[in-house]
Amino acid sequence: MKSIKNHLALILPLFAILFAVEYLQILDRVVKMYEERLKAEYTIIVVTEKSVKPEAVQQVSPLIDKVELVDANQVLMRIRQQIGQESLAKLQSVMPLFYTITLHRYPDQKSLESLRKSLMALQGVKRVQMFEKVHHPLYSMLMFLKANVTIFALFFGIVGFLLIIKQMYVWQLEHQERMQIMALFGAPVWLRSGVLFRFAIVDALIALAMMAGLIFYLQRDHRVVAFLSDMNIDVAQLVIPKDFAQLAGVALGTALLCAFWVVARFKEES
Amino acid sequence: MRNVIIANKVQLAYPRHEPVIKDATLTVQTGEFVFVTGASGSGKSTLLKSLYGALQIAGGELMVGGIDMQSIAGSKLNKLRRHIGVVFQDYKLVKEWNIEKNVMLPLIIAGFPKEVCQAQAQKLLNHVKLSHKADKYPPELSGGEQQRVAVARALAHNPFLILADEPTGNLDDYSSQVVWELLEKANEELETTVVVVTHHIPEMFHANYRHLMIENGVLYEIH
Repeated sequence: MKSIKNHLALILPLFAILFAVEYLQILDRVVKMYEERLKAEYTIIVVTEKSVKPEAVQQVSPLIDKVELVDANQVLMRIRQQIGQESLAKLQSVMPLFYTITLHRYPDQKSLESLRKSLMALQGVKRVQMFEKVHHPLYSMLMFLKANVTIFALFFGIVGFLLIIKQMYVWQLEHQERMQIMALFGAPVWLRSGVLFRFAIVDALIALAMMAGLIFYLQRDHRVVAFLSDMNIDVAQLVIPKDFAQLAGVALGTALLCAFWVVARFKEES
Repeated sequence: MRNVIIANKVQLAYPRHEPVIKDATLTVQTGEFVFVTGASGSGKSTLLKSLYGALQIAGGELMVGGIDMQSIAGSKLNKLRRHIGVVFQDYKLVKEWNIEKNVMLPLIIAGFPKEVCQAQAQKLLNHVKLSHKADKYPPELSGGEQQRVAVARALAHNPFLILADEPTGNLDDYSSQVVWELLEKANEELETTVVVVTHHIPEMFHANYRHLMIENGVLYEIH
Protein backbone atom coordinates (compact mmCIF):
# COMPACT_ATOMS: atom_id res chain seq x y z
CA MET A 1 0.00 0.00 0.00
CA LYS A 2 2.83 2.35 0.97
CA SER A 3 4.60 1.45 -2.24
CA ILE A 4 1.53 2.33 -4.36
CA LYS A 5 1.25 5.64 -2.50
CA ASN A 6 4.92 6.34 -3.17
CA HIS A 7 4.54 5.61 -6.87
CA LEU A 8 1.41 7.77 -7.08
CA ALA A 9 3.43 10.58 -5.50
CA LEU A 10 5.57 10.54 -8.64
CA ILE A 11 2.97 9.52 -11.22
CA LEU A 12 0.39 12.22 -10.36
CA PRO A 13 2.71 15.25 -10.59
CA LEU A 14 4.14 13.84 -13.80
CA PHE A 15 0.61 13.30 -15.15
CA ALA A 16 -0.21 16.92 -14.23
CA ILE A 17 2.84 18.12 -16.14
CA LEU A 18 1.87 16.04 -19.18
CA PHE A 19 -1.71 17.31 -18.98
CA ALA A 20 -0.44 20.91 -18.84
CA VAL A 21 1.86 20.34 -21.83
CA GLU A 22 -0.88 18.71 -23.92
CA TYR A 23 -3.48 21.30 -22.92
CA LEU A 24 -1.08 24.05 -23.94
CA GLN A 25 -0.51 22.36 -27.30
CA ILE A 26 -4.24 21.95 -27.91
CA LEU A 27 -4.95 25.56 -27.00
CA ASP A 28 -2.15 26.67 -29.27
CA ARG A 29 -3.72 24.71 -32.11
CA VAL A 30 -7.17 26.19 -31.39
CA VAL A 31 -5.68 29.70 -31.57
CA LYS A 32 -3.85 28.80 -34.79
CA MET A 33 -7.05 27.39 -36.31
CA TYR A 34 -8.89 30.55 -35.34
CA GLU A 35 -6.08 32.60 -36.85
CA GLU A 36 -6.44 30.60 -40.08
CA ARG A 37 -10.14 31.31 -40.14
CA LEU A 38 -9.54 34.98 -39.44
CA LYS A 39 -6.96 35.09 -42.16
CA ALA A 40 -9.36 33.51 -44.65
CA GLU A 41 -12.23 35.78 -43.73
CA TYR A 42 -10.32 38.93 -43.02
CA THR A 43 -9.69 41.62 -45.64
CA ILE A 44 -8.45 45.17 -45.51
CA ILE A 45 -9.96 47.75 -47.82
CA VAL A 46 -7.72 50.44 -49.21
CA VAL A 47 -9.33 53.46 -50.85
CA THR A 48 -7.25 55.40 -53.38
CA GLU A 49 -7.79 58.43 -55.55
CA LYS A 50 -5.79 57.07 -58.45
CA SER A 51 -4.94 53.63 -59.63
CA VAL A 52 -2.00 52.00 -57.82
CA LYS A 53 -0.02 48.96 -58.82
CA PRO A 54 -0.95 45.92 -56.68
CA GLU A 55 2.77 45.01 -56.57
CA ALA A 56 3.56 48.39 -55.02
CA VAL A 57 0.99 47.76 -52.30
CA GLN A 58 2.28 44.24 -51.77
CA GLN A 59 5.77 45.57 -51.12
CA VAL A 60 4.55 47.59 -48.16
CA SER A 61 4.63 44.60 -45.80
CA PRO A 62 5.52 40.90 -45.93
CA LEU A 63 2.20 40.27 -44.19
CA ILE A 64 0.32 41.06 -47.41
CA ASP A 65 -0.64 37.99 -49.40
CA LYS A 66 -2.85 39.35 -52.20
CA VAL A 67 -4.02 42.75 -53.47
CA GLU A 68 -7.06 42.94 -55.75
CA LEU A 69 -8.92 45.85 -57.28
CA VAL A 70 -12.65 45.80 -56.52
CA ASP A 71 -14.71 46.07 -59.67
CA ALA A 72 -16.56 49.44 -59.29
CA ASN A 73 -19.33 48.34 -61.68
CA GLN A 74 -20.38 45.62 -59.27
CA VAL A 75 -20.86 48.24 -56.56
CA LEU A 76 -22.70 50.61 -58.83
CA MET A 77 -25.00 47.83 -60.11
CA ARG A 78 -26.52 47.58 -56.67
CA ILE A 79 -27.53 51.23 -56.54
CA ARG A 80 -28.34 51.69 -60.25
CA GLN A 81 -32.06 51.31 -59.69
CA GLN A 82 -32.17 53.74 -56.80
CA ILE A 83 -30.57 56.75 -58.55
CA GLY A 84 -30.85 58.33 -61.96
CA GLN A 85 -28.53 57.78 -64.90
CA GLU A 86 -27.09 61.28 -64.63
CA SER A 87 -26.32 60.89 -60.95
CA LEU A 88 -24.82 57.50 -61.64
CA ALA A 89 -22.45 58.94 -64.25
CA LYS A 90 -21.51 61.74 -61.88
CA LEU A 91 -20.92 59.28 -59.10
CA GLN A 92 -18.82 57.10 -61.41
CA SER A 93 -16.59 60.04 -62.27
CA VAL A 94 -15.82 60.93 -58.64
CA MET A 95 -15.81 57.44 -57.22
CA PRO A 96 -12.44 56.38 -55.72
CA LEU A 97 -10.80 53.04 -56.35
CA PHE A 98 -11.14 50.20 -53.84
CA TYR A 99 -8.54 47.50 -53.27
CA THR A 100 -8.97 44.45 -51.07
CA ILE A 101 -5.93 43.13 -49.27
CA THR A 102 -5.71 39.62 -47.83
CA LEU A 103 -2.95 38.66 -45.41
CA HIS A 104 -0.71 35.63 -44.91
CA ARG A 105 -1.74 35.49 -41.26
CA TYR A 106 -3.79 37.43 -38.80
CA PRO A 107 -1.40 39.77 -37.04
CA ASP A 108 -1.57 41.36 -33.62
CA GLN A 109 -2.93 44.84 -33.01
CA LYS A 110 0.48 46.47 -33.14
CA SER A 111 1.32 44.96 -36.52
CA LEU A 112 -2.08 45.97 -37.86
CA GLU A 113 -1.52 49.54 -36.76
CA SER A 114 1.91 49.55 -38.35
CA LEU A 115 0.43 48.14 -41.56
CA ARG A 116 -2.24 50.84 -41.58
CA LYS A 117 0.44 53.54 -41.28
CA SER A 118 2.52 52.01 -44.08
CA LEU A 119 -0.50 51.79 -46.37
CA MET A 120 -1.55 55.36 -45.59
CA ALA A 121 1.95 56.49 -46.51
CA LEU A 122 1.48 55.18 -50.05
CA GLN A 123 0.87 57.89 -52.59
CA GLY A 124 -2.81 58.33 -53.46
CA VAL A 125 -4.20 56.32 -50.54
CA LYS A 126 -7.09 58.17 -48.96
CA ARG A 127 -8.32 55.68 -46.43
CA VAL A 128 -7.54 52.26 -45.00
CA GLN A 129 -10.34 50.24 -43.45
CA MET A 130 -9.12 47.49 -41.15
CA PHE A 131 -12.36 46.12 -39.59
CA GLU A 132 -10.25 44.97 -36.65
CA LYS A 133 -12.96 45.79 -34.11
CA VAL A 134 -15.08 42.98 -35.51
CA HIS A 135 -12.42 40.27 -35.15
CA HIS A 136 -10.04 41.48 -32.56
CA PRO A 137 -11.96 41.01 -29.27
CA LEU A 138 -12.35 37.24 -29.71
CA TYR A 139 -8.76 36.90 -30.88
CA SER A 140 -7.55 38.93 -27.89
CA MET A 141 -9.58 36.77 -25.58
CA LEU A 142 -8.01 33.62 -27.01
CA MET A 143 -4.53 35.12 -26.67
CA PHE A 144 -5.30 36.10 -23.07
CA LEU A 145 -6.50 32.57 -22.37
CA LYS A 146 -3.36 31.15 -23.93
CA ALA A 147 -1.15 33.42 -21.82
CA ASN A 148 -3.00 32.35 -18.67
CA VAL A 149 -2.76 28.68 -19.52
CA THR A 150 0.97 29.12 -20.19
CA ILE A 151 1.44 30.65 -16.74
CA PHE A 152 -0.55 27.84 -15.11
CA ALA A 153 1.38 25.22 -17.10
CA LEU A 154 4.63 26.77 -15.91
CA PHE A 155 3.35 26.72 -12.34
CA PHE A 156 2.24 23.08 -12.76
CA GLY A 157 5.66 22.28 -14.18
CA ILE A 158 7.60 23.81 -11.29
CA VAL A 159 5.39 22.34 -8.56
CA GLY A 160 5.33 18.96 -10.32
CA PHE A 161 9.10 18.98 -10.71
CA LEU A 162 9.57 19.75 -7.00
CA LEU A 163 7.12 17.01 -5.97
CA ILE A 164 8.90 14.47 -8.18
CA ILE A 165 12.28 15.45 -6.73
CA LYS A 166 10.86 15.13 -3.21
CA GLN A 167 9.64 11.61 -4.01
CA MET A 168 13.04 10.72 -5.46
CA TYR A 169 14.67 11.87 -2.23
CA VAL A 170 12.25 9.64 -0.29
CA TRP A 171 13.27 6.65 -2.41
CA GLN A 172 16.92 7.54 -2.11
CA LEU A 173 16.55 7.67 1.66
CA GLU A 174 14.82 4.26 1.64
CA HIS A 175 17.64 2.73 -0.39
CA GLN A 176 20.46 4.83 1.04
CA GLU A 177 22.03 2.04 3.08
CA ARG A 178 22.41 -0.22 0.06
CA MET A 179 23.67 2.67 -2.09
CA GLN A 180 26.30 3.53 0.55
CA ILE A 181 27.47 -0.09 0.73
CA MET A 182 27.64 -0.35 -3.06
CA ALA A 183 29.62 2.91 -3.17
CA LEU A 184 32.14 1.46 -0.70
CA PHE A 185 32.77 -1.39 -3.13
CA GLY A 186 33.22 0.97 -6.08
CA ALA A 187 29.82 0.71 -7.76
CA PRO A 188 29.39 3.42 -10.39
CA VAL A 189 26.57 5.93 -9.91
CA TRP A 190 24.24 4.34 -12.47
CA LEU A 191 24.51 0.95 -10.78
CA ARG A 192 24.05 2.01 -7.16
CA SER A 193 21.23 4.41 -8.08
CA GLY A 194 19.69 1.98 -10.57
CA VAL A 195 16.55 1.69 -8.48
CA LEU A 196 15.80 5.43 -8.86
CA PHE A 197 16.26 5.28 -12.64
CA ARG A 198 14.08 2.15 -12.82
CA PHE A 199 11.29 3.79 -10.83
CA ALA A 200 11.63 6.96 -12.91
CA ILE A 201 11.23 5.07 -16.19
CA VAL A 202 8.38 2.81 -15.02
CA ASP A 203 6.40 5.67 -13.46
CA ALA A 204 6.97 7.90 -16.49
CA LEU A 205 5.51 5.16 -18.70
CA ILE A 206 2.51 4.75 -16.36
CA ALA A 207 1.88 8.53 -16.38
CA LEU A 208 2.17 8.50 -20.17
CA ALA A 209 -0.32 5.62 -20.45
CA MET A 210 -2.75 7.49 -18.18
CA MET A 211 -2.41 10.59 -20.34
CA ALA A 212 -2.97 8.58 -23.52
CA GLY A 213 -6.05 7.03 -21.91
CA LEU A 214 -7.43 10.45 -21.01
CA ILE A 215 -6.85 11.80 -24.53
CA PHE A 216 -8.45 8.69 -26.03
CA TYR A 217 -11.48 9.15 -23.79
CA LEU A 218 -11.84 12.90 -24.40
CA GLN A 219 -11.53 12.48 -28.17
CA ARG A 220 -14.56 10.24 -28.08
CA ASP A 221 -16.61 12.05 -25.45
CA HIS A 222 -19.70 13.41 -27.20
CA ARG A 223 -19.79 16.58 -25.05
CA VAL A 224 -16.23 17.50 -26.02
CA VAL A 225 -16.81 16.67 -29.68
CA ALA A 226 -20.05 18.72 -29.74
CA PHE A 227 -18.40 21.68 -27.98
CA LEU A 228 -15.53 21.76 -30.46
CA SER A 229 -17.72 21.32 -33.50
CA ASP A 230 -19.74 24.34 -32.28
CA MET A 231 -16.48 26.26 -32.76
CA ASN A 232 -16.00 24.67 -36.20
CA ILE A 233 -13.01 22.70 -34.87
CA ASP A 234 -12.45 19.10 -35.85
CA VAL A 235 -11.32 17.13 -32.80
CA ALA A 236 -9.12 14.89 -34.99
CA GLN A 237 -7.00 17.92 -35.87
CA LEU A 238 -6.39 18.83 -32.23
CA VAL A 239 -4.47 15.76 -31.06
CA ILE A 240 -1.96 14.37 -33.49
CA PRO A 241 0.23 11.24 -33.14
CA LYS A 242 3.34 13.41 -32.87
CA ASP A 243 1.99 14.58 -29.50
CA PHE A 244 2.51 11.13 -27.99
CA ALA A 245 6.16 11.09 -28.96
CA GLN A 246 6.53 14.55 -27.45
CA LEU A 247 4.70 13.54 -24.27
CA ALA A 248 6.88 10.43 -23.98
CA GLY A 249 9.93 12.68 -24.27
CA VAL A 250 8.59 15.06 -21.62
CA ALA A 251 7.61 12.21 -19.24
CA LEU A 252 10.88 10.29 -19.51
CA GLY A 253 12.96 13.45 -19.69
CA THR A 254 11.41 15.00 -16.57
CA ALA A 255 11.54 11.79 -14.52
CA LEU A 256 15.14 11.02 -15.50
CA LEU A 257 16.24 14.63 -15.00
CA CYS A 258 14.80 14.52 -11.46
CA ALA A 259 16.54 11.17 -10.83
CA PHE A 260 19.87 12.61 -12.06
CA TRP A 261 19.31 15.69 -9.91
CA VAL A 262 18.89 13.59 -6.76
CA VAL A 263 21.67 11.13 -7.64
CA ALA A 264 24.12 13.98 -8.29
CA ARG A 265 23.52 15.23 -4.74
CA PHE A 266 24.16 11.84 -3.16
CA LYS A 267 26.77 12.17 -0.45
CA GLU A 268 28.77 9.24 0.76
CA GLU A 269 28.94 9.04 4.53
CA SER A 270 32.44 9.13 5.93
CA MET B 1 57.77 -6.93 -3.94
CA ARG B 2 55.54 -4.01 -4.81
CA ASN B 3 54.59 -1.14 -2.54
CA VAL B 4 50.86 -1.37 -1.91
CA ILE B 5 50.60 1.51 0.57
CA ILE B 6 52.97 4.44 0.86
CA ALA B 7 52.12 7.03 3.49
CA ASN B 8 54.37 9.99 4.12
CA LYS B 9 53.55 12.30 7.05
CA VAL B 10 49.83 11.78 6.46
CA GLN B 11 47.47 13.94 8.47
CA LEU B 12 43.82 13.02 8.86
CA ALA B 13 41.05 15.22 10.24
CA TYR B 14 37.27 15.41 10.15
CA PRO B 15 35.84 18.73 8.92
CA ARG B 16 36.13 21.54 11.50
CA HIS B 17 38.06 19.30 13.90
CA GLU B 18 41.64 18.96 15.07
CA PRO B 19 43.66 16.28 13.22
CA VAL B 20 43.07 12.77 14.55
CA ILE B 21 46.22 11.49 12.87
CA LYS B 22 49.10 13.95 12.89
CA ASP B 23 51.80 11.81 11.37
CA ALA B 24 51.34 8.45 9.71
CA THR B 25 54.38 7.34 7.79
CA LEU B 26 54.61 3.77 6.56
CA THR B 27 55.18 1.54 3.58
CA VAL B 28 53.28 -1.72 3.16
CA GLN B 29 54.36 -4.21 0.52
CA THR B 30 52.54 -6.95 -1.36
CA GLY B 31 51.75 -9.97 0.77
CA GLU B 32 52.30 -8.28 4.13
CA PHE B 33 49.91 -8.80 7.04
CA VAL B 34 49.71 -5.64 9.13
CA PHE B 35 47.98 -5.10 12.46
CA VAL B 36 47.28 -1.53 13.55
CA THR B 37 46.45 -1.25 17.22
CA GLY B 38 45.74 1.65 19.53
CA ALA B 39 43.37 2.88 22.20
CA SER B 40 39.73 3.68 21.45
CA GLY B 41 39.50 6.98 19.57
CA SER B 42 43.17 6.90 18.65
CA GLY B 43 42.31 7.10 14.91
CA LYS B 44 42.68 3.47 13.80
CA SER B 45 39.40 3.41 11.86
CA THR B 46 40.09 6.91 10.53
CA LEU B 47 43.39 5.68 9.10
CA LEU B 48 41.60 2.74 7.49
CA LYS B 49 38.95 5.04 5.96
CA SER B 50 41.66 7.09 4.29
CA LEU B 51 43.00 3.90 2.69
CA TYR B 52 39.73 3.23 0.84
CA GLY B 53 39.06 6.89 0.10
CA ALA B 54 36.16 7.45 2.50
CA LEU B 55 38.14 10.26 4.10
CA GLN B 56 40.34 12.75 2.28
CA ILE B 57 43.79 13.28 3.70
CA ALA B 58 44.39 16.69 5.31
CA GLY B 59 48.13 16.71 4.72
CA GLY B 60 51.10 14.65 3.59
CA GLU B 61 51.14 12.07 0.80
CA LEU B 62 49.26 8.81 0.54
CA MET B 63 49.44 6.29 -2.30
CA VAL B 64 47.33 3.13 -2.38
CA GLY B 65 47.93 0.64 -5.18
CA GLY B 66 50.01 3.27 -6.94
CA ILE B 67 47.16 5.79 -6.88
CA ASP B 68 47.49 9.18 -5.22
CA MET B 69 44.73 9.48 -2.62
CA GLN B 70 44.92 13.28 -2.49
CA SER B 71 41.42 14.49 -3.50
CA ILE B 72 40.61 11.21 -5.24
CA ALA B 73 36.94 10.95 -6.21
CA GLY B 74 34.46 9.78 -8.82
CA SER B 75 35.29 7.03 -11.26
CA LYS B 76 38.97 6.92 -10.23
CA LEU B 77 37.98 6.16 -6.64
CA ASN B 78 35.38 3.60 -7.77
CA LYS B 79 37.99 1.86 -9.90
CA LEU B 80 40.39 1.63 -6.96
CA ARG B 81 37.68 0.36 -4.61
CA ARG B 82 36.83 -2.44 -7.04
CA HIS B 83 40.25 -3.89 -6.23
CA ILE B 84 40.05 -3.50 -2.45
CA GLY B 85 38.10 -5.70 -0.04
CA VAL B 86 36.81 -4.04 3.10
CA VAL B 87 35.50 -5.73 6.24
CA PHE B 88 33.57 -3.39 8.51
CA GLN B 89 32.98 -3.71 12.21
CA ASP B 90 29.23 -3.32 11.65
CA TYR B 91 29.37 -5.78 8.68
CA LYS B 92 27.55 -3.44 6.24
CA LEU B 93 25.55 -6.20 4.59
CA VAL B 94 22.60 -5.33 2.36
CA LYS B 95 19.63 -6.40 4.46
CA GLU B 96 17.21 -6.91 1.57
CA TRP B 97 19.60 -9.26 -0.28
CA ASN B 98 20.26 -12.85 0.70
CA ILE B 99 23.79 -13.67 1.80
CA GLU B 100 24.72 -15.26 -1.52
CA LYS B 101 23.92 -11.99 -3.31
CA ASN B 102 25.78 -10.05 -0.61
CA VAL B 103 28.91 -12.09 -1.30
CA MET B 104 28.37 -11.59 -5.03
CA LEU B 105 28.25 -7.77 -4.69
CA PRO B 106 31.89 -6.96 -5.66
CA LEU B 107 31.62 -9.36 -8.60
CA ILE B 108 28.33 -7.83 -9.76
CA ILE B 109 29.98 -4.40 -9.62
CA ALA B 110 32.95 -5.72 -11.58
CA GLY B 111 30.50 -6.94 -14.24
CA PHE B 112 31.04 -10.70 -14.03
CA PRO B 113 28.33 -13.00 -15.46
CA LYS B 114 25.77 -14.26 -12.97
CA GLU B 115 27.00 -17.88 -13.12
CA VAL B 116 30.58 -16.82 -12.30
CA CYS B 117 29.34 -14.68 -9.40
CA GLN B 118 27.23 -17.54 -8.03
CA ALA B 119 30.02 -20.09 -8.30
CA GLN B 120 32.49 -17.81 -6.52
CA ALA B 121 29.93 -16.93 -3.82
CA GLN B 122 29.22 -20.62 -3.21
CA LYS B 123 32.94 -21.38 -2.94
CA LEU B 124 33.50 -18.60 -0.40
CA LEU B 125 30.39 -19.46 1.58
CA ASN B 126 31.81 -22.99 1.84
CA HIS B 127 35.05 -21.53 3.20
CA VAL B 128 33.19 -19.58 5.88
CA LYS B 129 30.99 -22.62 6.54
CA LEU B 130 27.76 -20.88 5.62
CA SER B 131 26.85 -22.50 2.30
CA HIS B 132 23.75 -24.02 3.91
CA LYS B 133 22.48 -20.51 4.64
CA ALA B 134 23.05 -19.04 1.19
CA ASP B 135 19.42 -18.02 0.78
CA LYS B 136 19.04 -16.52 4.24
CA TYR B 137 18.93 -12.76 4.80
CA PRO B 138 21.39 -10.92 7.08
CA PRO B 139 18.87 -10.24 9.88
CA GLU B 140 18.31 -14.02 10.11
CA LEU B 141 22.01 -14.61 10.90
CA SER B 142 23.95 -14.12 14.13
CA GLY B 143 26.60 -11.38 14.39
CA GLY B 144 29.38 -13.92 13.93
CA GLU B 145 27.74 -15.38 10.84
CA GLN B 146 27.18 -11.93 9.37
CA GLN B 147 30.84 -11.06 9.84
CA ARG B 148 31.86 -14.29 8.14
CA VAL B 149 29.67 -13.30 5.19
CA ALA B 150 31.34 -9.87 5.20
CA VAL B 151 34.78 -11.51 5.05
CA ALA B 152 33.64 -13.77 2.21
CA ARG B 153 32.39 -10.67 0.36
CA ALA B 154 35.71 -8.88 0.91
CA LEU B 155 37.53 -11.83 -0.68
CA ALA B 156 35.09 -12.47 -3.53
CA HIS B 157 36.86 -10.42 -6.20
CA ASN B 158 40.44 -11.46 -5.23
CA PRO B 159 41.44 -7.95 -4.15
CA PHE B 160 45.09 -6.91 -3.90
CA LEU B 161 44.37 -5.33 -0.52
CA ILE B 162 42.02 -6.27 2.32
CA LEU B 163 41.20 -3.66 4.93
CA ALA B 164 39.48 -4.94 8.06
CA ASP B 165 38.12 -2.73 10.82
CA GLU B 166 37.84 -4.70 14.08
CA PRO B 167 36.67 -7.79 12.17
CA THR B 168 36.25 -9.93 15.27
CA GLY B 169 35.32 -7.19 17.72
CA ASN B 170 31.93 -8.64 18.65
CA LEU B 171 32.37 -12.27 17.64
CA ASP B 172 32.41 -15.54 19.53
CA ASP B 173 35.58 -17.66 19.50
CA TYR B 174 34.44 -19.95 16.70
CA SER B 175 33.51 -17.11 14.32
CA SER B 176 36.70 -15.24 15.21
CA GLN B 177 38.76 -18.31 14.35
CA VAL B 178 37.01 -18.75 10.98
CA VAL B 179 37.59 -15.05 10.15
CA TRP B 180 41.31 -15.12 11.07
CA GLU B 181 41.89 -18.40 9.24
CA LEU B 182 40.30 -16.97 6.11
CA LEU B 183 42.32 -13.75 6.21
CA GLU B 184 45.51 -15.73 6.91
CA LYS B 185 44.77 -18.09 4.02
CA ALA B 186 44.13 -15.25 1.58
CA ASN B 187 47.36 -13.61 2.69
CA GLU B 188 49.44 -16.79 2.37
CA GLU B 189 47.94 -18.38 -0.71
CA LEU B 190 47.02 -15.35 -2.81
CA GLU B 191 49.64 -12.95 -1.48
CA THR B 192 46.86 -10.51 -0.65
CA THR B 193 48.02 -7.62 1.50
CA VAL B 194 45.95 -7.39 4.68
CA VAL B 195 45.67 -4.41 7.02
CA VAL B 196 43.68 -5.09 10.17
CA VAL B 197 42.70 -2.48 12.71
CA THR B 198 42.09 -4.04 16.11
CA HIS B 199 42.40 -3.55 19.84
CA HIS B 200 44.28 -6.80 20.40
CA ILE B 201 46.26 -9.08 18.16
CA PRO B 202 44.61 -12.52 18.50
CA GLU B 203 46.63 -15.21 20.25
CA MET B 204 45.46 -17.82 17.75
CA PHE B 205 47.14 -15.89 14.92
CA HIS B 206 50.20 -17.77 13.64
CA ALA B 207 51.34 -16.03 10.46
CA ASN B 208 54.12 -13.50 10.23
CA TYR B 209 52.86 -10.01 10.68
CA ARG B 210 53.85 -6.42 11.26
CA HIS B 211 52.52 -4.56 14.24
CA LEU B 212 51.91 -0.82 14.08
CA MET B 213 50.45 1.29 16.86
CA ILE B 214 48.81 4.71 16.93
CA GLU B 215 49.50 6.86 19.96
CA ASN B 216 48.78 10.58 20.29
CA GLY B 217 48.04 10.78 16.57
CA VAL B 218 51.37 9.29 15.53
CA LEU B 219 51.85 5.89 13.90
CA TYR B 220 54.70 3.81 15.32
CA GLU B 221 56.15 0.52 14.16
CA ILE B 222 56.28 -1.99 17.05
CA HIS B 223 57.77 -4.88 15.09
